[in-house]
Amino acid sequence: METALALRALEKSFSSHRVVDGISLDVPKGCFYSLLGPSGCGKTTILRMIGGFGEPDAGEIVLNGKRLNGLRPYERPVTTVFQSYALFPHLTAAQNIAFGLERRGEAPAAIAPKVNRMLELVGLQEKAGRMPANLSGGEKQRTALARALVVEPEMLLLDEPLSALDPALRKRVRIELKQLQKQLGITFLFITHDQEEALSLSDQIAVMNKGKIEQIGTPQEIYLTPATRFVAGFLGAVNWIDGIGVRPEATRISRATPGNGARTVDAQVETSVFLGDCFHVQTRTSAGVTVTAQVSHKDEPFANGDRVHVWWHAADELPVRE
Amino acid sequence: MNRLRALFLAPSAAFTVVLFLAPMAIIVGYSFMTRGVYGGVTGPWTVENYQRLFDPLYGVILWRSLVMSTLATALCLLIAFPLALFIARAEEKRKNIYLYLVILPFWTSFLVRTYAWMFLLRDSGLINSVLLSLHVIQKPLPLLYNETAVVVGLVYGYLPFAVLPLYSNLERMDKNLLEAAADLGATQWETIRRVVLPLCAPGMRAAGVLVFIPCLGAYLTPDLLGGGKSIMIGNLIQNQFTTARDWPFGAAISLALMALVMVLLLALLRRDGEEAL
Repeated sequence: METALALRALEKSFSSHRVVDGISLDVPKGCFYSLLGPSGCGKTTILRMIGGFGEPDAGEIVLNGKRLNGLRPYERPVTTVFQSYALFPHLTAAQNIAFGLERRGEAPAAIAPKVNRMLELVGLQEKAGRMPANLSGGEKQRTALARALVVEPEMLLLDEPLSALDPALRKRVRIELKQLQKQLGITFLFITHDQEEALSLSDQIAVMNKGKIEQIGTPQEIYLTPATRFVAGFLGAVNWIDGIGVRPEATRISRATPGNGARTVDAQVETSVFLGDCFHVQTRTSAGVTVTAQVSHKDEPFANGDRVHVWWHAADELPVRE
Repeated sequence: MNRLRALFLAPSAAFTVVLFLAPMAIIVGYSFMTRGVYGGVTGPWTVENYQRLFDPLYGVILWRSLVMSTLATALCLLIAFPLALFIARAEEKRKNIYLYLVILPFWTSFLVRTYAWMFLLRDSGLINSVLLSLHVIQKPLPLLYNETAVVVGLVYGYLPFAVLPLYSNLERMDKNLLEAAADLGATQWETIRRVVLPLCAPGMRAAGVLVFIPCLGAYLTPDLLGGGKSIMIGNLIQNQFTTARDWPFGAAISLALMALVMVLLLALLRRDGEEAL
């Protein structure tokens, strides 16, 4: 697949602390690509360097064959959806969206139709004349998205654009965002610390930690076959049993001795938490390790203190050891 | 609770009544009286002092005061905006140092500082001496005792009053807005024009009011730097109470000036109110 963005051995330090430490990656054209990592891992610094808000100390940023290093932000064919949205408070939603077109010298007659089409695309036709202060969180987010997309950037940079929304809205907007990206075919570089967000949205994910890339892969790859212990732990819960990693949903418990082919340890039930769609049963093995198993409603109910067998299939073991 | 509130408000209320409202009432009273032979006021009551305000002679002085104050205010805003922007965008540690430098002139009396300008601008002053010794000019430039000198003095004197409100306005501005503008293709100049300036309009108005009002009433600066040739309303009022010994007329001019300032302020406040909606 053709590469849109290429980062080559990117480095950036702030007062002798190396925040970005030799990052190289390729973002394919039309891809929804996520940089996933905990806060302080350097992902936002990378995004800012691509947008032109800070130059790398070393390394190259190449977008569709063009080197971006040293270009001013307004000379780069990328736009950003800021975490705080950064909508201009003195302009209406429509004027905010028109801002980029005006600055890029678009003919005034061409601006209105483009703004209207974009308002329609994000479902804000009714709110076109509102000031940002009179828009809801979701509407602000969509205005920011429309404002960045209307100039038809070669790539859209999204800096945790969903983190300011309440959880219920966040899930809905997530689906809309994904649909929008597929519809427009624009390359998205999405920054998040929320693994669920990254897994559900991305075509590809680069997991970052301490300024370095831990693993690059599809959501399934990084979840099911994490390359490092950090990736395994960051993408979801892991039971570490004698050094072997098993996800809670692959961990089974039963009173009867499990059949052949199963790996098993003895344990005692400590607590059982009802989560609506399932139970999380926490057990303690005879070696003193806490193991959590995800149990469906149909399974036999477990009471605290029950002696059980914790078991799993060898195929479900994560390929990394503790 | 109410008694406590009354107790706390008492000093400022007493201060306002004794030192502001009472003198005001006296001035209003004086403005309707007749001048005494050696100053002061006597009967009978009259409105003649207000009728005299419409003498074209005073119209010229009022017009000159308005023009010079407007010019000084415009120059103050022009100089203060980039300075305030620079301070607001400086490193956190440096901001306080720069602000300190802005208010540093207040440590000495305004009179002393105005005299310092006389030493700078006069024929044998620093500027002329330097230019003469460098042979840039053959005879001293007439820098002092004209309207330009007065405007320079006013700008110098009231610049901090423009810098501080603009700074506080710019300081509160979300830095992301500047990045968003650049991100969408705006150059630095376009960002200032399209985003920063519109957003600091309230600061501009506050700064304008804080500079314009004292400029309009200034008497020390035009007196010393204008050399008594280009007098402003402030000087006219001062003259009535001193050399002219016409207290009632001085009181009438004072009140007319105050009314003018109030009309301007109300117009501005109304605009701010409309924008808040």
